[in-house]
Order: sequence, then structure tokens, then C-alpha cells
Amino acid sequence: MPLYFSERELVLPGQLLSDDGKRSGEGTYVLGDKVYALTVGFATIKNDKVCVIPIKGTYNPQPGDRVIGIVIDVKPNGFEVSLGRHLTATIRIPDKKEVQALNLKVGEAIYASVKEVGLKGVFLEAGEKIKKLTSGLLVDMHPSKIPRLIGRRGSMINMIKKETGCEMLVGRNGYILIKGPSPTNEFAAVAAIRLIEREAHSQGLTERVENLIKNILGSGVKDERTEFEAGK
Amino acid sequence: MREQNLKLVSEEGIRIDGRRFDELRPLKIEIGVLDKSDGSAYVELGKTKVFAAVFGPKEVHPKHLALPDRAILNCRYHMTSFSVDERKPLGMTRREIELSKVIREALESVVFLEEFPRTSIDVYVEVIQADGGTRTAGLTAASLALAEAGIPMADLIAAVAVGKVEGHLLLDLCDIEDKYGEADMPIAMAPRLNSIVLLQLNGRLTKEELKKGLELAKKGINEIYQKEREALRRKYSGVSPVEV
Amino acid sequence: MSLSQMKKSLTARIVQEKIYNLLTQGMRLDGRSPTDIRPVSIVTGLVEKADGSALVSMGGTKILVGIKTEIGSPYSDRPKEGSFTVNAELLPLASISFEPGPPDERGVELARVVDRGIRESKCIDLEKLCLIEGEKAYILFIDIYVLDYDGNYYDPSTIAVLAALATAKIPKYEVVNGKVQKTGEYFNLQLQALPFTVTFGIIKERFLVDPQLEEESALDVSLIIGVDEKNNIVSIQKNSPGLMPENLLEQMIDVAVEKSNQIRRKFIETLNLKI
Repeated sequence: MPLYFSERELVLPGQLLSDDGKRSGEGTYVLGDKVYALTVGFATIKNDKVCVIPIKGTYNPQPGDRVIGIVIDVKPNGFEVSLGRHLTATIRIPDKKEVQALNLKVGEAIYASVKEVGLKGVFLEAGEKIKKLTSGLLVDMHPSKIPRLIGRRGSMINMIKKETGCEMLVGRNGYILIKGPSPTNEFAAVAAIRLIEREAHSQGLTERVENLIKNILGSGVKDERTEFEAGK
Repeated sequence: MREQNLKLVSEEGIRIDGRRFDELRPLKIEIGVLDKSDGSAYVELGKTKVFAAVFGPKEVHPKHLALPDRAILNCRYHMTSFSVDERKPLGMTRREIELSKVIREALESVVFLEEFPRTSIDVYVEVIQADGGTRTAGLTAASLALAEAGIPMADLIAAVAVGKVEGHLLLDLCDIEDKYGEADMPIAMAPRLNSIVLLQLNGRLTKEELKKGLELAKKGINEIYQKEREALRRKYSGVSPVEV
Repeated sequence: MSLSQMKKSLTARIVQEKIYNLLTQGMRLDGRSPTDIRPVSIVTGLVEKADGSALVSMGGTKILVGIKTEIGSPYSDRPKEGSFTVNAELLPLASISFEPGPPDERGVELARVVDRGIRESKCIDLEKLCLIEGEKAYILFIDIYVLDYDGNYYDPSTIAVLAALATAKIPKYEVVNGKVQKTGEYFNLQLQALPFTVTFGIIKERFLVDPQLEEESALDVSLIIGVDEKNNIVSIQKNSPGLMPENLLEQMIDVAVEKSNQIRRKFIETLNLKI
């Protein structure tokens, strides 16, 4: 059966991918036994199924994922936590005293793990696995780029930590906490994140990120002046 | 009042703005123009200028409005006060309320709402200048904003109006042709599915004219569809998948 | 009735604390100094059907302004003058925190603060907008739409209104035998003042200029100060609940004068105005 795409080709919603309805995988749908793309994304074959990896997919929490969230509600039996991008998770704690013991307030950031994902929503592990984040620079990145930020066996993130001298805590949902010896070092780490976000696809990225950090920390943060520009 | 000698289509079949009967106005599409939304697009068709933005899927407020098996889609079509010749008073007119509904229904026919139970997807269409064909340009923009937001859809929507002016069937009416013409028929399609998702007629057409008008619209819709796809490809050119 | 803002802020406290912490070191999240404003771009004439229009962005905040003219009666207490009204809508496509519907109190406040600066600086020569005393005059409808909201919509709205006014081509009417009729010609408004606003955010004992969205969530108070080209203060609005240390006011006025002059110089240069 023919396929109508090359591996990792950019496809658009409604684009015909295959004549074999049985090969419809994630990110596709079947109409009249043909497989079409559901979203803008990259077409690929996974386990013999035709799939589309969405380009702007929302974060799909998986049990075991480490995430950074912001407490948005405190209840007698637990907490509600925002994971960003319209995603809310729950921490269920049957014991009222334990809820109080955690002493979490609305607006506070936590580092936690995903316990389960089901029809009733996303649940985070309770108890000692919750770490309250009290200081540092919290930034966000599109969740789909997080694997690139980490790099193969942590190569990218470790290089950034080493070059900037910052500690970094990465939430799979896209929040990243940076803590460094000075704001300049933290800003260098943010600049690295933004570069990865923009050029996640390109070759030789690790080297460019490294050079960027060296440039910033070598010459100090660039002074941004107010610029007016005339439109067309 | 229309001037006595105003002729909208010349003897040679040339229209008031220099187009032939089957020609679209210049079309400009930009994707991702409003940063705070989850997806957005700007569409300019001649002097018709429209923004669209999408928020969601997100939690529904109040919660009891949520549906257990699918997302709800909300849509607002709105025009700025200065988008039209005579200043439009603030607030929603009956026309805007109706168009919000037909645009929403057109979008609902291609969006896979069942993928996001208990959530809402909000679509806003803002017309900043109206020169004919605002609902169709708005729908085209909304469909692109949904695509940018990563919302699963069976197809992109492309839309255009056809009409009858001084006895001629014309593609993509501008305001003056719409105003003084005999009929205006906005059409939106999901081209890959060979399906119509919005169809309205204001005016009078014979059966044959209706058929010919539909063919004319399809020609325009296919051109718009190609431009939409080009704009999306342009937006993501140079982006390739991240190794996971 | 005015109700407390009910929206839950999603900006984490840790970010708010960081904003203050950086400010004590003279720094900000986006690399600006406390008194830097974000880059401004101005596009005029985007809406040809309006008599004047401008799309202004200030950092990530985008504002669209259009002006329409109608002929109506002068106010009875000002029979020799034309008039203008300013309206503002926070469009729901600009932010998840804006709801569809008629302008809420934030939109009304925006419109009134911008209106105040324009009116009190006598920017528009209203007497020139009168056609027949007590009977016919031009009425300018100035409508502000917030298209994309990344904090501080006041300053870009003022810039957009002034850009639309400065480049407007108003349809000219004339009086013939006691009746007004369109001449088919257009005239410029010849602005008499350029009153720019500067928005301040105050956290504890420190302030910053032109807050972006995350900064806005960390502020105790904000203060909008309008200044004309003679360095007169033409409008002030304390905005959002909170305590504003009295001793900051004088410093902020000085900065407002300096920043509004900076904006004005660039505005005149960008639009190529002859003033």
C-alpha cells in the first residue's frame, strides 16, 4: 500500500497519508479507508502505523514525569496545580493534617511527579515527593522542545549548567527553574533556552548554545535601548 | 445612493476594480500574529482585513456547562466600529450574532471536538475593515488559527463569496458589488472532504446560476486553500521534528 | 458597582519575588533597566475606511485605533465647539483574561484616561471643528481596540490615538445657505499638543516603567502620568489597589517628563511630522 509522504515530512490537517485505513496511528484519522493528518505536524511510521507528531501539541502527561506546577487552589483534601497551557492537575491527600503540614499557598511553585492520568484528570504524587520551590528564575518553554533542551543523555542541559554555573530544574510540562550565582548567569541560561526553542531542529546546536553563553558571560548583558520603527 | 451611470461590470466583462469575473482580490495570509493566543491568523482579501485567534482547549467556566464527551466550541464574529463606511455602534448587532453562529457551526463540522472532553475552545474573529466577504475571510482565518493552535481537524476550511451583479456571476464580491448586486452567496468548504460547511444566499438566482456559481466558488476556494497551505508551510519552514 | 478582579493570576509568587529582587539590582526579566520602555512600532493608515487609523505595538502589546467623523450638534454648553469621544474595548482575542461583551470597567477606565490627556492638553482645536454655532459641528469618534495584551495598554493606546489623529484626513464640510454639505476635500487636524502617557509600576519602595504582563502581576500599584510638550502634567491615574509611597511621586513625575519627551521625539521623527 502506498504512502503519500516521506519520513518526517511536514503535513497539514486533511492531508492524505495512506490508502490503508488499518495503518492509522496517533495524529491521524480514517475516512473511506484512507488515512489523513489531523494536525500540522511531521508524518512518521511508528510500529508500522502512520502517525503525525503535532508541531504544537499540548503536553501529554505520563506517569513518572517530573513537572513544575503552580498551586492555584488549596482544598481540605489536597491541591489544584496549574501545569501551564490550560492544564490542571490535582494532588489528593486524604489526611487534612497532611495538607496543612505541606503549608502550600496559592501562587507557590512546586516540583512534583505525575502519579496517574485518567478520565478524571491528572494526579500528582503526594507526600514527600512534593518539593516547594522558593527562589530562582522560573521561565517556560514549549513542552515539545524539552527533550532537545535535555539532549542526548543530558548532554545539552549539563553543558548549559556547567557554562552558566546555574542549577536548573526542568519540568517536562515546560517550566524550568534556574538558580545561578547572579542574574547575568541566569539570563545567559534563559538565552540558551530561547536559542534552543528557536533552532531545536538544526545541526551543531550544542556548539552554538555554548558560544552564545560564552559571549554573554564574556561581555556582560547587552544593553537594550528603546527603538522606534516606522511601519510599512 | 447609487450614482445613475455607475456600471459595475464593463462591456468587456471587467469589474469596477479591474478584475475579471473569476478573479480573487489580492490575498495575504499571516499566521501566528497575536502572541497571547494559542493560535492566530491575519487574512487580507483586497481591503477586507480580519484577525482570528483561538484559546484552548481549556477548562470550562462555569464547570456545569462542560460536556462529558466533547469540547464546546465558542465563537464570536465582531467588527470594529470603524471597519465600515458608517460607524458601527459598539456592541453586537443581530448580524454579528448570526454570523458568529454560522461560523461556529462551520468550524464544528471539521474540528474533532471529542478529543477534548470537558473543555472549551474559544474562537474570536475580529474584522478591522469590511469590504465584502468578511464572514468568509474570517472563517478562513479562524481555520488557520485553529491549525496553528494544534487543534485536530479533518481539513482546513477555505471560504469565499460568489454573487450576481448586473446579470454576471462574479467571484469574491467586494462591498460595492455586494451592495448593488442582485445576489450574494457566501460558501465555505472543506475541500479535501468535498463538503460544504457554510452556505448562505442573499438574493435571487436561477437554478442554473446557482450551479454555475458553485463551480465558480470552488475555483476560488481551491486557490484560497492552496494559499492557506503555502502560508502554513512558510510558517513552519525550517522547523523539523525534535528527536524524542 | 465595581467588583474586585476575580481572575486568578497564574503568575507564580516565585516570579513576582524575582521581579522585585531583580529590581533592587536595577534589572528586569526582559533585560530592560527600570526606566526603559519596550520597542514601539507604528503603522498608520491600515484601515482605509477610517478617517485616521494606527496599529501600534509596544513590546508584545498591540493596539488598533480608528477615527470616524460624523456631523452632529455641539454640546449646548459649548456651542462654538466640535467634540470627540474616546471608547476602548479589550478584545477577547488579546488575552485569555478578557471576556467578550460590552466594555467592562477596565476598558472604560482606559478610554477615560486616554481621553483626559487629549482633552486637558487641548490637543484638538475644537473650535475649528464647529460649522454652525450651536447647530452643526464635527464629532470625532476615537475607538481603541486592544488586540494583543502583554501588559501596559495605556501608553501604546495614547501613542496610537495620537498617531491616528496626527495622520487623519477628515472629510471637509462647508456651510452653503445655512446647510452643511460635503466638499469632497479633506483636512488635517493640526494637533496643538502631543500628550504622551508613561505608566509606572510600583513594588514596595521601587518603581519601573512600562510593565509587561508578568511584571503587572507583581505590582502593588500602577500610576499613569500624562505629560504634554510643555512638560505640563495633563493626566494622572492611580490604578489597582495598593499603597503608593508618597515620596516616590516626585521621582516618577521627573521620569515621566523625561520618558514622554523621549517618546515624543521619536514619534515626531517616525511619523515625519512638521511641528
